[in-house]
Amino acid sequence: MAQSSGKTTLTGWLFTGPALMLLTFFMVYPILSSLWMSLQVGKGMNFSFGGFANMWRLTQDAVFQKALLNTLTLLVVQVPIMIALAMLLAVALNDPSLKGRALFRTAIFLPCVTSLVAYSVLFKSMFAYDGVVNRFLEALHILDQPIPWLSDTFWAKVLIILAITWRWTGYNMIFFLAALQNIEPSIYEAARIDGIPRWAQFQKITLPALIPVVLFTTVTSTIGTLQLFDEVNNITLGGPANATMTLSLYIYQLSFKFMPSFGYAATVSYVIVVLVMILSFFQFVAARDRRRP
Amino acid sequence: MTGLKLSNVRKTYGVLEVIKDVSLEVKPKEFVVFVGPSGCGKSTLLRMIAGLEKITAGDLEIGGKRMNEVEPSKRGIAMVFQSYALYPHLTVRENMGFALRFAGVPKNEIIKQVDAAAQTLELGALMDRRPGELSGGQRQRVAIGRAIVRKPEVFLFDEPLSNLDAELRVHMRIELARLHKSLAATVIYVTHDQVEAMTLADKIVVMRNGLISQVGSPLDVYDNPDNMFVAGFIGSPKINFIKGVVDGVSKSGLTVVLPGYQDAKVTFATKNSSVPVGDSVTVGLRPQHFNTTGKMKFKLNVELVEHLGGESFVYAGNGSGDLITVATQEGRGLKSGQKFDAHIDPAKALLFDANGQRVR
Ligand SMILES: Nc1ncnc2c1ncn2[C@@H]1O[C@H](COP(=O)(O)OP(=O)(O)OP(=O)(O)O)[C@@H](O)[C@H]1O
Ligand SMILES: [Mg+2]
Repeated sequence: MAQSSGKTTLTGWLFTGPALMLLTFFMVYPILSSLWMSLQVGKGMNFSFGGFANMWRLTQDAVFQKALLNTLTLLVVQVPIMIALAMLLAVALNDPSLKGRALFRTAIFLPCVTSLVAYSVLFKSMFAYDGVVNRFLEALHILDQPIPWLSDTFWAKVLIILAITWRWTGYNMIFFLAALQNIEPSIYEAARIDGIPRWAQFQKITLPALIPVVLFTTVTSTIGTLQLFDEVNNITLGGPANATMTLSLYIYQLSFKFMPSFGYAATVSYVIVVLVMILSFFQFVAARDRRRP
Repeated sequence: MTGLKLSNVRKTYGVLEVIKDVSLEVKPKEFVVFVGPSGCGKSTLLRMIAGLEKITAGDLEIGGKRMNEVEPSKRGIAMVFQSYALYPHLTVRENMGFALRFAGVPKNEIIKQVDAAAQTLELGALMDRRPGELSGGQRQRVAIGRAIVRKPEVFLFDEPLSNLDAELRVHMRIELARLHKSLAATVIYVTHDQVEAMTLADKIVVMRNGLISQVGSPLDVYDNPDNMFVAGFIGSPKINFIKGVVDGVSKSGLTVVLPGYQDAKVTFATKNSSVPVGDSVTVGLRPQHFNTTGKMKFKLNVELVEHLGGESFVYAGNGSGDLITVATQEGRGLKSGQKFDAHIDPAKALLFDANGQRVR
């Protein structure tokens, strides 16, 4: 393979060329361009170079700080709940003695392929003050007065967490199911003959096989939640009182609402980039430590 | 020590009957091998003994106690799987000691037993590795070690050697035989390799379509198969079956005409000659029984010769009928197309009636 003559090199470049060109145009250029933009100040189309002025503005911006805090809160609460739920459902749905497994799997997977707007509208009406959810809970005497899902700062966050968990748990469950089906059934049979209790089977056979999936789904869900936009824009619009304002929604509002402030919006985007990098890094380090004790 | 008894055991999956009325007794310390073609129900029967499959009907006794509904871990058995089924995230040491941890065995006792098993199986250097870091043969030894450590009364093996290469298989076969002697435990071993069955077994159980076809010592099933199926399944190369018709019944035996061989007439000495004249029979001739002096003679042409070094297998025919396989020590000079006379002593022949049942 040492003889990579000029001709074969050229062939290689020709094959990868179109893809590289598209990548440069649609990925590399926007990344660099937005980095440049994040150093610009000014409203609308009037830009001027501001250096680190936008970063200084971050430290003074109460809405940004609120959005950052909201995003991190949603992240810390929602991702672990969803991953645990996805794992639990996968283990339950992998049990061969369960009847109608295929139906349950489909039903749980379905939310992530439904129309976003349709489901948002549905959620909004279901969780309205006099909506079906409150009525139902009252009828069961779980509540004595309705929960103000959409108008209370705490319950609005809960609603958003419910919504994204509903939408993405099934998607993550698929990865767990795939990993579970890779475990050879005879290993569990050997464990039955060895008299290993169910909890120890889960701890020593099932769980270790799921660790890589936990890492993968945690990283992808973290990135997803950091970029959370759809639900908050469609269900709560960031309200009430910015209680569900997320970084992505704030970027959108900075760019397309009021007087556009593209430079500052680009700076906030880079906050997400840095957060994704830091969190992914820590998650990978944690996973590596686990594997080699 | 513990024996095992199956009485009228059945297994059905829905309407499909996989094990049809099997009764069998296994004596303590016996090495019993289940053989049979793929899909005949060997694994299913073994897994029913292990408790991994429910027994649809009939009784299973281990050591004199009925075990039909007893948990697998409480049956006094250990099983070695074809795929090894080691716990992938535990080390060899943990794999071998895992069962004991939950059986309430004290820690230092576990260490002692695991080390003893490791010594027997020469696993000492591998104790801290994971299964993924072992070769197939090493994994199989760990799986056997995991079974030994539990000190079971009965060992169950489901094709434990079929994932190994030929050389290693022979080596492990010898180790297993040695292990059986030193452990003095009852073993039930499933295989479709009849060489394994012949070499390891005290008792061979030949199975077919969910039924036991014959039970006997290896030489017994080889010399005295009850039917054509067993005769064809045991012995390598496969026994030759030649079609014939009963021509006469007398005190001295049955006279059979072989239409494929110029209507040659052969008389086979039999005591009970219940086959009427005119009935078709099948003559079974082992390739190893051919010689140069036997009274029965086949004039053949060599089609193909397989040289195995010491021995040669000659496949020869006379244009009509199937090829006859002859195992011979003097086949070196033979070439295809050459004339070849195969002799055999009629006393060595096996005779089967039209239903495949043994007549003689
Ligand atoms: N869970 C099941 N449901 C339905 N049929 C089954 C099931 N398990 C096994 N069978 C059938 O039972 C029969 C016996 O299977 P078994 O695995 O015991 O065969 P085997 O003798 O071990 O074959 P092999 O040598 O290929 O391992 C087969 O015909 C198989 O198709
Ligand atoms: Mg089998």
